[in-house]
Amino acid sequence: MTSRYAVGDRVRICARYAPGHVRTPFYVRGATGHIERVLDKFLDPEREAFGINAGTETQLYRVRLNQSALWPGYTGEPIDTLELEIFEHWLEPA
Amino acid sequence: MPGTPDHGLSREPARLIAHQPHDVGGQPDGPVNMAEHELSPFEKHCHALLDVLAAHKLVNTEEKRRGVEDMGEVIIGSLTYYQRWAASAAKVLNEKGLVTTQELGRKMVDVRAQLAAEEQ
Amino acid sequence: MTHDHDHTEPHAPIEVDVSDGPDYFEVMVHALQELLVDKGLIDADEVRARLELIDSVEPSRGAALIARAWTDPAFKQRLLADGSAAIDEFGIDNYDGTHLIVIEQTPEVHNLVVCTLCSCYPRPVLGLPPDWYKSRAYRARAVRDPRGLLREFGTDIPPEVSIRVHDSNANMRYLIMPMRPAGSESMTEAELANLITRDSMIGVTVARLPR
Repeated sequence: MTSRYAVGDRVRICARYAPGHVRTPFYVRGATGHIERVLDKFLDPEREAFGINAGTETQLYRVRLNQSALWPGYTGEPIDTLELEIFEHWLEPA
Repeated sequence: MPGTPDHGLSREPARLIAHQPHDVGGQPDGPVNMAEHELSPFEKHCHALLDVLAAHKLVNTEEKRRGVEDMGEVIIGSLTYYQRWAASAAKVLNEKGLVTTQELGRKMVDVRAQLAAEEQ
Repeated sequence: MTHDHDHTEPHAPIEVDVSDGPDYFEVMVHALQELLVDKGLIDADEVRARLELIDSVEPSRGAALIARAWTDPAFKQRLLADGSAAIDEFGIDNYDGTHLIVIEQTPEVHNLVVCTLCSCYPRPVLGLPPDWYKSRAYRARAVRDPRGLLREFGTDIPPEVSIRVHDSNANMRYLIMPMRPAGSESMTEAELANLITRDSMIGVTVARLPR
Protein backbone atom coordinates (compact mmCIF):
# COMPACT_ATOMS: atom_id res chain seq x y z
CA MET A 1 0.00 0.00 0.00
CA THR A 2 1.68 3.19 -1.16
CA SER A 3 0.83 6.60 0.17
CA ARG A 4 1.92 9.78 -1.56
CA TYR A 5 3.47 11.30 1.58
CA ALA A 6 5.69 9.89 4.31
CA VAL A 7 6.28 10.87 7.93
CA GLY A 8 8.31 14.07 8.05
CA ASP A 9 7.30 15.33 4.60
CA ARG A 10 6.55 19.03 4.50
CA VAL A 11 3.03 19.60 3.20
CA ARG A 12 0.62 22.42 2.60
CA ILE A 13 -3.10 22.08 3.26
CA CYS A 14 -4.82 23.31 0.11
CA ALA A 15 -6.45 26.74 0.14
CA ARG A 16 -9.68 25.71 -1.56
CA TYR A 17 -13.10 26.97 -0.56
CA ALA A 18 -15.88 25.24 -2.47
CA PRO A 19 -19.07 24.53 -0.48
CA GLY A 20 -19.92 21.03 0.71
CA HIS A 21 -19.41 18.75 3.70
CA VAL A 22 -15.70 19.11 4.35
CA ARG A 23 -13.72 17.65 7.25
CA THR A 24 -10.73 19.93 6.61
CA PRO A 25 -11.48 22.84 8.94
CA PHE A 26 -11.48 26.36 7.53
CA TYR A 27 -8.80 27.54 9.93
CA VAL A 28 -6.08 25.24 8.49
CA ARG A 29 -6.65 25.92 4.80
CA GLY A 30 -3.38 27.14 3.28
CA ALA A 31 -1.33 26.17 6.35
CA THR A 32 2.05 24.44 6.05
CA GLY A 33 3.25 21.68 8.35
CA HIS A 34 4.61 18.16 8.19
CA ILE A 35 3.27 14.62 8.18
CA GLU A 36 3.21 13.29 11.75
CA ARG A 37 1.62 9.91 10.96
CA VAL A 38 0.38 7.97 7.97
CA LEU A 39 -3.00 6.46 8.81
CA ASP A 40 -5.24 4.11 6.83
CA LYS A 41 -7.41 4.73 3.82
CA PHE A 42 -10.99 5.72 4.58
CA LEU A 43 -14.05 6.57 2.54
CA ASP A 44 -14.11 10.19 1.44
CA PRO A 45 -16.48 11.93 3.91
CA GLU A 46 -17.32 14.58 1.30
CA ARG A 47 -18.95 11.85 -0.79
CA GLU A 48 -20.29 9.82 2.15
CA ALA A 49 -22.25 12.91 3.11
CA PHE A 50 -24.32 12.32 -0.03
CA GLY A 51 -24.74 8.59 0.40
CA ILE A 52 -21.67 7.30 -1.47
CA ASN A 53 -20.73 4.44 0.85
CA ALA A 54 -18.11 2.66 -1.23
CA GLY A 55 -15.37 3.12 -3.77
CA THR A 56 -13.85 6.37 -2.51
CA GLU A 57 -11.10 5.08 -0.20
CA THR A 58 -8.64 7.91 0.39
CA GLN A 59 -5.37 8.03 2.32
CA LEU A 60 -5.64 9.88 5.63
CA TYR A 61 -2.68 11.51 7.41
CA ARG A 62 -2.02 13.34 10.66
CA VAL A 63 -0.41 16.70 10.04
CA ARG A 64 1.43 18.75 12.64
CA LEU A 65 1.29 22.53 12.46
CA ASN A 66 3.05 25.21 14.45
CA GLN A 67 0.53 27.36 16.29
CA SER A 68 2.54 30.60 15.97
CA ALA A 69 2.57 30.17 12.21
CA LEU A 70 -1.12 29.24 12.11
CA TRP A 71 -2.63 32.14 14.06
CA PRO A 72 -1.77 35.82 13.64
CA GLY A 73 -0.96 37.11 17.11
CA TYR A 74 -0.96 33.66 18.75
CA THR A 75 -0.87 34.24 22.52
CA GLY A 76 0.68 30.91 23.55
CA GLU A 77 4.26 29.73 23.26
CA PRO A 78 6.39 29.32 20.10
CA ILE A 79 6.76 25.59 20.85
CA ASP A 80 2.98 24.97 20.80
CA THR A 81 1.65 22.73 18.03
CA LEU A 82 -1.63 21.48 16.62
CA GLU A 83 -2.30 18.12 14.98
CA LEU A 84 -5.23 17.05 12.89
CA GLU A 85 -6.25 14.55 10.23
CA ILE A 86 -6.09 15.54 6.58
CA PHE A 87 -7.09 13.49 3.54
CA GLU A 88 -4.56 13.19 0.75
CA HIS A 89 -6.57 15.24 -1.75
CA TRP A 90 -6.31 18.21 0.61
CA LEU A 91 -2.48 18.12 0.63
CA GLU A 92 0.23 19.31 -1.71
CA PRO A 93 4.01 19.24 -1.26
CA ALA A 94 5.40 22.32 0.47
CA MET B 1 -3.16 32.90 6.49
CA PRO B 2 -0.48 35.55 5.93
CA GLY B 3 0.23 36.05 2.25
CA THR B 4 -2.68 33.96 1.00
CA PRO B 5 -4.94 35.67 -1.56
CA ASP B 6 -8.35 35.96 0.00
CA HIS B 7 -10.24 33.95 -2.67
CA GLY B 8 -12.99 36.56 -2.59
CA LEU B 9 -13.74 35.66 1.02
CA SER B 10 -13.59 39.19 2.38
CA ARG B 11 -17.14 39.58 1.11
CA GLU B 12 -19.91 38.19 3.29
CA PRO B 13 -21.91 36.29 0.66
CA ALA B 14 -18.80 34.32 -0.23
CA ARG B 15 -17.97 33.71 3.43
CA LEU B 16 -21.46 32.47 4.19
CA ILE B 17 -21.13 29.83 1.48
CA ALA B 18 -17.46 28.97 1.89
CA HIS B 19 -17.24 28.98 5.68
CA GLN B 20 -20.08 27.06 7.30
CA PRO B 21 -21.28 28.06 10.75
CA HIS B 22 -20.41 24.76 12.47
CA ASP B 23 -16.73 25.16 11.43
CA VAL B 24 -15.83 27.27 14.44
CA GLY B 25 -12.16 26.50 15.11
CA GLY B 26 -10.40 29.76 15.96
CA GLN B 27 -13.50 31.97 16.06
CA PRO B 28 -13.81 34.39 18.96
CA ASP B 29 -15.99 33.13 21.80
CA GLY B 30 -16.57 33.51 25.51
CA PRO B 31 -15.79 31.46 28.61
CA VAL B 32 -16.70 27.78 28.56
CA ASN B 33 -19.89 26.93 30.45
CA MET B 34 -18.92 23.89 32.49
CA ALA B 35 -22.47 22.91 33.51
CA GLU B 36 -23.34 19.37 32.47
CA HIS B 37 -26.73 17.76 32.13
CA GLU B 38 -27.90 14.19 32.26
CA LEU B 39 -29.34 13.14 28.90
CA SER B 40 -33.13 12.99 28.80
CA PRO B 41 -34.89 9.82 27.57
CA PHE B 42 -35.57 11.59 24.27
CA GLU B 43 -31.89 12.42 23.85
CA LYS B 44 -30.71 8.89 24.60
CA HIS B 45 -33.39 7.48 22.29
CA CYS B 46 -32.34 9.85 19.52
CA HIS B 47 -28.68 8.90 19.97
CA ALA B 48 -29.47 5.18 19.89
CA LEU B 49 -31.71 5.49 16.84
CA LEU B 50 -29.12 7.47 14.87
CA ASP B 51 -26.45 4.91 15.77
CA VAL B 52 -28.69 2.15 14.40
CA LEU B 53 -29.41 4.20 11.24
CA ALA B 54 -25.66 4.62 10.76
CA ALA B 55 -24.99 0.90 11.19
CA HIS B 56 -27.51 0.20 8.41
CA LYS B 57 -26.21 3.08 6.32
CA LEU B 58 -29.72 4.50 6.21
CA VAL B 59 -28.33 7.76 7.56
CA ASN B 60 -24.56 7.43 7.84
CA THR B 61 -22.56 9.64 10.21
CA GLU B 62 -21.44 12.05 7.49
CA GLU B 63 -24.99 12.34 6.11
CA LYS B 64 -26.24 13.14 9.60
CA ARG B 65 -23.56 15.79 10.04
CA ARG B 66 -24.19 17.28 6.60
CA GLY B 67 -27.89 17.43 7.37
CA VAL B 68 -27.16 19.44 10.50
CA GLU B 69 -24.59 21.71 8.85
CA ASP B 70 -26.97 22.64 6.05
CA MET B 71 -29.54 23.94 8.54
CA GLY B 72 -27.57 27.15 8.82
CA GLU B 73 -26.54 29.24 11.78
CA VAL B 74 -29.94 30.36 13.03
CA ILE B 75 -31.42 26.87 13.20
CA ILE B 76 -28.22 25.33 14.54
CA GLY B 77 -28.19 27.95 17.28
CA SER B 78 -31.87 27.51 18.13
CA LEU B 79 -32.07 23.72 18.35
CA THR B 80 -30.42 21.53 20.95
CA TYR B 81 -27.81 18.99 19.88
CA TYR B 82 -30.26 16.07 19.66
CA GLN B 83 -33.07 18.14 18.16
CA ARG B 84 -30.64 18.80 15.31
CA TRP B 85 -29.92 15.07 14.94
CA ALA B 86 -33.63 14.25 14.78
CA ALA B 87 -34.32 16.90 12.15
CA SER B 88 -31.29 15.81 10.14
CA ALA B 89 -32.40 12.16 10.16
CA ALA B 90 -35.85 13.15 8.93
CA LYS B 91 -34.31 15.22 6.14
CA VAL B 92 -31.85 12.57 4.92
CA LEU B 93 -34.43 9.78 5.02
CA ASN B 94 -36.78 12.02 3.01
CA GLU B 95 -34.05 12.78 0.45
CA LYS B 96 -33.62 9.06 -0.10
CA GLY B 97 -37.35 8.39 -0.34
CA LEU B 98 -37.18 6.09 2.67
CA VAL B 99 -39.53 8.16 4.83
CA THR B 100 -41.57 10.72 2.92
CA THR B 101 -43.03 13.94 4.28
CA GLN B 102 -46.50 12.43 4.00
CA GLU B 103 -45.60 9.26 5.85
CA LEU B 104 -43.79 11.11 8.61
CA GLY B 105 -46.50 13.74 8.95
CA ARG B 106 -49.25 11.15 9.37
CA LYS B 107 -47.22 9.01 11.75
CA MET B 108 -46.34 12.01 13.90
CA VAL B 109 -50.06 12.79 14.31
CA ASP B 110 -50.67 9.21 15.45
CA VAL B 111 -47.67 9.12 17.78
CA ARG B 112 -48.60 12.49 19.28
CA ALA B 113 -52.09 11.22 20.08
CA GLN B 114 -50.63 8.03 21.56
CA LEU B 115 -48.09 9.82 23.72
CA ALA B 116 -50.66 12.40 24.85
CA ALA B 117 -53.01 9.60 25.90
CA GLU B 118 -50.17 7.93 27.83
CA GLU B 119 -49.42 11.18 29.63
CA GLN B 120 -53.01 11.30 31.03
CA MET C 1 -18.63 36.37 14.56
CA THR C 2 -19.25 36.83 18.28
CA HIS C 3 -22.59 36.30 19.97
CA ASP C 4 -23.99 38.57 22.64
CA HIS C 5 -25.25 35.53 24.47
CA ASP C 6 -24.24 32.07 23.51
CA HIS C 7 -27.37 30.66 21.93
CA THR C 8 -25.36 27.90 20.35
CA GLU C 9 -25.09 25.95 23.59
CA PRO C 10 -25.94 22.35 22.86
CA HIS C 11 -28.47 22.26 25.65
CA ALA C 12 -30.85 25.21 25.68
CA PRO C 13 -33.05 25.38 28.75
CA ILE C 14 -35.87 22.91 28.17
CA GLU C 15 -39.15 24.77 28.56
CA VAL C 16 -41.74 22.28 29.62
CA ASP C 17 -44.90 23.70 28.09
CA VAL C 18 -47.60 21.24 29.10
CA SER C 19 -50.24 22.98 26.98
CA ASP C 20 -48.30 21.91 23.91
CA GLY C 21 -48.49 18.21 24.67
CA PRO C 22 -45.69 15.84 23.74
CA ASP C 23 -42.50 17.44 22.44
CA TYR C 24 -42.30 17.84 18.64
CA PHE C 25 -38.87 16.24 18.32
CA GLU C 26 -39.67 13.40 20.71
CA VAL C 27 -42.71 12.63 18.55
CA MET C 28 -40.54 12.81 15.44
CA VAL C 29 -38.02 10.28 16.77
CA HIS C 30 -40.73 7.82 17.80
CA ALA C 31 -42.44 8.25 14.43
CA LEU C 32 -39.22 7.73 12.45
CA GLN C 33 -38.46 4.58 14.40
CA GLU C 34 -41.95 3.13 13.95
CA LEU C 35 -41.94 3.79 10.22
CA LEU C 36 -38.50 2.24 9.73
CA VAL C 37 -39.45 -0.81 11.81
CA ASP C 38 -42.71 -1.21 9.88
CA LYS C 39 -40.76 -1.06 6.63
CA GLY C 40 -38.41 -3.78 7.88
CA LEU C 41 -35.38 -1.49 7.67
CA ILE C 42 -34.45 -1.71 11.37
CA ASP C 43 -35.49 -3.71 14.44
CA ALA C 44 -36.77 -2.10 17.62
CA ASP C 45 -34.46 -4.50 19.49
CA GLU C 46 -31.41 -2.90 17.89
CA VAL C 47 -32.38 0.48 19.28
CA ARG C 48 -33.01 -1.01 22.72
CA ALA C 49 -29.66 -2.78 22.65
CA ARG C 50 -27.86 0.40 21.64
CA LEU C 51 -29.60 2.32 24.44
CA GLU C 52 -28.33 -0.20 26.96
CA LEU C 53 -24.84 -0.06 25.51
CA ILE C 54 -24.72 3.74 25.65
CA ASP C 55 -25.88 3.67 29.25
CA SER C 56 -23.27 1.10 30.20
CA VAL C 57 -20.13 3.00 29.24
CA GLU C 58 -18.66 5.40 31.81
CA PRO C 59 -15.31 7.18 32.04
CA SER C 60 -14.30 4.56 34.61
CA ARG C 61 -13.72 2.26 31.66
CA GLY C 62 -11.03 4.57 30.33
CA ALA C 63 -9.62 5.07 33.82
CA ALA C 64 -9.20 1.31 34.27
CA LEU C 65 -7.41 1.16 30.93
CA ILE C 66 -5.00 3.94 31.87
CA ALA C 67 -4.38 2.46 35.34
CA ARG C 68 -3.38 -0.81 33.64
CA ALA C 69 -1.00 1.11 31.39
CA TRP C 70 0.53 2.85 34.39
CA THR C 71 1.30 -0.46 36.08
CA ASP C 72 2.19 -2.62 33.06
CA PRO C 73 4.91 -1.02 30.89
CA ALA C 74 4.54 -3.56 28.07
CA PHE C 75 0.78 -2.93 27.89
CA LYS C 76 1.42 0.79 27.94
CA GLN C 77 3.64 0.46 24.87
CA ARG C 78 1.01 -1.60 23.07
CA LEU C 79 -1.65 0.96 23.98
CA LEU C 80 0.43 3.82 22.62
CA ALA C 81 1.40 1.89 19.49
CA ASP C 82 -2.13 0.77 18.57
CA GLY C 83 -5.00 2.01 20.72
CA SER C 84 -7.69 -0.01 18.95
CA ALA C 85 -5.83 -3.31 19.28
CA ALA C 86 -4.97 -2.66 22.92
CA ILE C 87 -8.53 -1.84 24.00
CA ASP C 88 -9.68 -4.96 22.24
CA GLU C 89 -7.07 -6.91 24.20
CA PHE C 90 -8.33 -5.21 27.39
CA GLY C 91 -11.86 -6.43 26.64
CA ILE C 92 -13.44 -3.12 25.67
CA ASP C 93 -16.12 -3.30 22.97
CA ASN C 94 -15.13 -0.77 20.32
CA TYR C 95 -18.80 -0.50 19.44
CA ASP C 96 -18.62 2.44 17.08
CA GLY C 97 -15.82 1.04 14.91
CA THR C 98 -13.66 4.11 15.25
CA HIS C 99 -9.85 4.06 15.47
CA LEU C 100 -8.35 4.95 18.84
CA ILE C 101 -5.09 6.84 19.29
CA VAL C 102 -3.79 7.11 22.84
CA ILE C 103 -1.50 10.06 23.51
CA GLU C 104 0.56 10.33 26.66
CA GLN C 105 1.21 13.50 28.61
CA THR C 106 4.91 14.06 29.19
CA PRO C 107 6.90 16.63 31.16
CA GLU C 108 7.72 18.30 27.82
CA VAL C 109 4.32 18.17 26.07
CA HIS C 110 0.79 18.67 27.41
CA ASN C 111 -1.89 17.33 25.05
CA LEU C 112 -5.50 18.47 24.67
CA VAL C 113 -8.33 17.02 22.56
CA VAL C 114 -11.13 18.88 20.79
CA CYS C 115 -13.44 18.29 17.85
CA THR C 116 -13.86 21.72 16.28
CA LEU C 117 -16.33 20.51 13.64
CA CYS C 118 -18.77 18.59 15.83
CA SER C 119 -18.25 16.36 18.90
CA CYS C 120 -16.06 13.39 17.97
CA TYR C 121 -15.09 11.69 21.21
CA PRO C 122 -13.76 8.24 22.21
CA ARG C 123 -17.21 7.00 23.25
CA PRO C 124 -16.31 3.30 23.69
CA VAL C 125 -13.83 4.21 26.45
CA LEU C 126 -15.29 7.39 27.96
CA GLY C 127 -19.05 7.26 27.32
CA LEU C 128 -20.84 10.31 25.95
CA PRO C 129 -19.08 13.69 25.91
CA PRO C 130 -19.91 16.45 28.41
CA ASP C 131 -21.91 19.45 27.18
CA TRP C 132 -18.93 21.76 27.38
CA TYR C 133 -16.91 19.57 25.01
CA LYS C 134 -19.68 20.03 22.41
CA SER C 135 -20.07 23.75 23.06
CA ARG C 136 -19.14 26.40 20.54
CA ALA C 137 -16.90 28.15 23.08
CA TYR C 138 -14.73 25.08 23.69
CA ARG C 139 -14.55 24.07 20.04
CA ALA C 140 -13.72 27.61 18.91
CA ARG C 141 -11.12 28.44 21.56
CA ALA C 142 -9.27 25.16 22.22
CA VAL C 143 -7.34 25.38 18.95
CA ARG C 144 -6.51 29.08 19.14
CA ASP C 145 -6.13 29.76 22.86
CA PRO C 146 -5.40 26.43 24.56
CA ARG C 147 -3.43 28.00 27.39
CA GLY C 148 -6.21 30.44 28.26
CA LEU C 149 -8.79 27.68 27.98
CA LEU C 150 -6.81 25.34 30.23
CA ARG C 151 -6.54 28.07 32.86
CA GLU C 152 -10.35 28.20 32.92
CA PHE C 153 -10.28 24.52 33.84
CA GLY C 154 -7.78 25.30 36.60
CA THR C 155 -4.83 23.90 34.65
CA ASP C 156 -1.75 26.08 34.37
CA ILE C 157 0.86 24.82 31.93
CA PRO C 158 4.27 26.51 32.30
CA PRO C 159 5.71 28.22 29.22
CA GLU C 160 8.56 25.71 28.86
CA VAL C 161 6.02 22.90 28.36
CA SER C 162 4.64 22.71 24.83
CA ILE C 163 0.88 22.46 24.37
CA ARG C 164 -0.25 20.17 21.57
CA VAL C 165 -3.89 20.40 20.54
CA HIS C 166 -5.43 17.46 18.71
CA ASP C 167 -8.41 18.34 16.52
CA SER C 168 -10.36 15.10 16.22
CA ASN C 169 -11.69 16.05 12.80
CA ALA C 170 -11.90 12.77 10.86
CA ASN C 171 -11.73 9.04 11.61
CA MET C 172 -9.45 8.87 14.66
CA ARG C 173 -10.56 9.27 18.26
CA TYR C 174 -8.20 10.37 20.99
CA LEU C 175 -7.67 9.33 24.58
CA ILE C 176 -5.12 11.17 26.68
CA MET C 177 -2.96 9.20 29.10
CA PRO C 178 -2.31 11.54 32.04
CA MET C 179 1.03 11.43 33.79
CA ARG C 180 1.07 9.23 36.86
CA PRO C 181 1.30 11.52 39.90
CA ALA C 182 4.16 11.34 42.36
CA GLY C 183 3.28 9.60 45.61
CA SER C 184 1.17 6.95 43.87
CA GLU C 185 3.89 4.31 43.73
CA SER C 186 2.32 1.95 46.28
CA MET C 187 -1.26 2.25 45.02
CA THR C 188 -3.18 -0.66 43.53
CA GLU C 189 -4.55 -0.52 40.00
CA ALA C 190 -8.06 0.14 41.35
CA GLU C 191 -6.81 2.96 43.57
CA LEU C 192 -4.91 4.46 40.64
CA ALA C 193 -8.03 4.35 38.48
CA ASN C 194 -9.73 6.67 40.99
CA LEU C 195 -7.10 9.31 40.29
CA ILE C 196 -7.78 9.26 36.55
CA THR C 197 -10.68 11.60 35.86
CA ARG C 198 -12.61 11.96 32.61
CA ASP C 199 -11.29 15.49 32.23
CA SER C 200 -7.69 14.31 32.57
CA MET C 201 -8.33 11.87 29.70
CA ILE C 202 -9.51 14.76 27.50
CA GLY C 203 -6.50 16.81 28.59
CA VAL C 204 -8.21 19.79 30.24
CA THR C 205 -6.90 18.72 33.64
CA VAL C 206 -4.23 16.43 35.04
CA ALA C 207 -4.79 13.32 37.16
CA ARG C 208 -5.78 13.79 40.78
CA LEU C 209 -3.10 13.67 43.40
CA PRO C 210 -3.07 10.83 45.94
CA ARG C 211 -4.36 11.98 49.32
